[in-house]
Amino acid sequence: MSATVIETTGLTKTFPMPAGPVTALRDVSFSVAPDEYVAVTGPSGCGKSTLLHLLGSVDTATSGTLLFDGRDISALPDAERSRIRLTQIGFVFQRFYLLPMLTAWENVELPQGEAGASKAERRARTAELLDYVGLSQRARHRPSQLSGGEMQRVAIARAIANRPRLLLADEPTGELDRSTGEQIAELLDRVHADGNAIVVVTHDPAIAARAKRRLEMRDGEIVAEASA
Amino acid sequence: MRRPFALLLTAFIALGTAALASFQPTAEPTSSDVTDILVSRQLLESQDLAVGDLIDLAADPTGARARAFRIVGSYEPLPDPARFTQQRLEVRLHLQDMVDMLADPADPQSGESVSAINVALHDPEREREFRRSVFGQVPGLSVWSTQRGDSANPFVVLEQFHLAIAIVTILASTAFLLALMVMRSEERRETAGILRLIGLGKRRVLTQVLIEGVIIATVGAAFGIALALVAQSGFNQFFQWRYDTALVFVRVSPKVAAQCVALAVPLGVIASVVASWTLLRREVLALLRR
Repeated sequence: MSATVIETTGLTKTFPMPAGPVTALRDVSFSVAPDEYVAVTGPSGCGKSTLLHLLGSVDTATSGTLLFDGRDISALPDAERSRIRLTQIGFVFQRFYLLPMLTAWENVELPQGEAGASKAERRARTAELLDYVGLSQRARHRPSQLSGGEMQRVAIARAIANRPRLLLADEPTGELDRSTGEQIAELLDRVHADGNAIVVVTHDPAIAARAKRRLEMRDGEIVAEASA
Repeated sequence: MRRPFALLLTAFIALGTAALASFQPTAEPTSSDVTDILVSRQLLESQDLAVGDLIDLAADPTGARARAFRIVGSYEPLPDPARFTQQRLEVRLHLQDMVDMLADPADPQSGESVSAINVALHDPEREREFRRSVFGQVPGLSVWSTQRGDSANPFVVLEQFHLAIAIVTILASTAFLLALMVMRSEERRETAGILRLIGLGKRRVLTQVLIEGVIIATVGAAFGIALALVAQSGFNQFFQWRYDTALVFVRVSPKVAAQCVALAVPLGVIASVVASWTLLRREVLALLRR
């Protein structure tokens, strides 16, 4: 197992636009250790989310290398990158992205089934996760019957369902009030304390302050780094 | 005389359905030699006749030389698609009775002759041979087959016309189906994006879509056949009532149903896969973008 979960070298992302190419990320190099909690901050449009998407292999870099667990995943075919997302990386987004036709239980159970877990394993793990995020009583509710905070908790439970090595969170409290956001931040702290590496992109100084390491971005580059 | 062909003259029950010029119910027998007759259901109903009634029939429009007959039963005329708009006011009588009725009293020979007879062959394939044989024995007698070639058969032409309409319908509905499937896929863009985000591969999502497509197409085809059966019943009942005939206007045969399923299911599946593939070609983020 590698000493870093993820390591980038010279990561650059350029988007072709009608008015000409726009470089959203310039020569970004950094790494995340297995027990790290990293916050990425910066103004809107500075490339934070683009970086997160590249780390999560939902997008591909224009140049540079991206090592996940010591393995270059930037050039992998789509099927293999999908498999890494399914088993090694968890996502939490501002908009939750729960499947609206499934219950909280089914949303959490789905990635486990796709990863090949048996029915008994899925049942035990889903019950455990819903209990972990405090939603055992809401297991049979659909997302439309849940509050924003509850939906985000289900999203976190789903993100860690397959025990990923890395949890990526993009503005996880962006659509929540301060109190609910605080609860989600505490939940992320617990997830980190349980041994998950976390990279969180946020505008919220309170969330960023919880991370052990903070990266500040501007114009597609990491301009500052601080450790708690 | 050697008879290579069995001639089935419908001697007992009259072969023709004579269009009789006039008929009239009669209260009492006009002669002792009243013979039996069959009356079409339509004639029976339209003239308020009943089995056992005595009626006078005449070949002459004025009713001259009428003869009495006893109705011994009614029958449903063989439905004829070429004549379904005609009211089937018909009777079936013994051949000799018909010949007697149609005979010209001024011509003593007329009772001994007929202008035409229908012959049914056991083996229709030997029709040409039969014609040559009859023509050779009775020169001057015209013999022709009631079976015409496909090009002269109006129902073959009609069937080709229906085939053309069916092809146009299938092409139009395929385009419509594809458009619907594209719209349906677009509605599920975010769902596809979420599935891709959490790590389901394109092939896995496409397989799911394929399974859904097969189920939807199969259920749709079954619904279509059920609808066709209901429509068939409605059409037949209406037109049978409208034209007072037993003719079956629409028939959804097992073969037709199988053809429909064989066309509809693959088309539905292809349409759903094509529509979904246009969606899955996009990047995960493009699927999730509002």
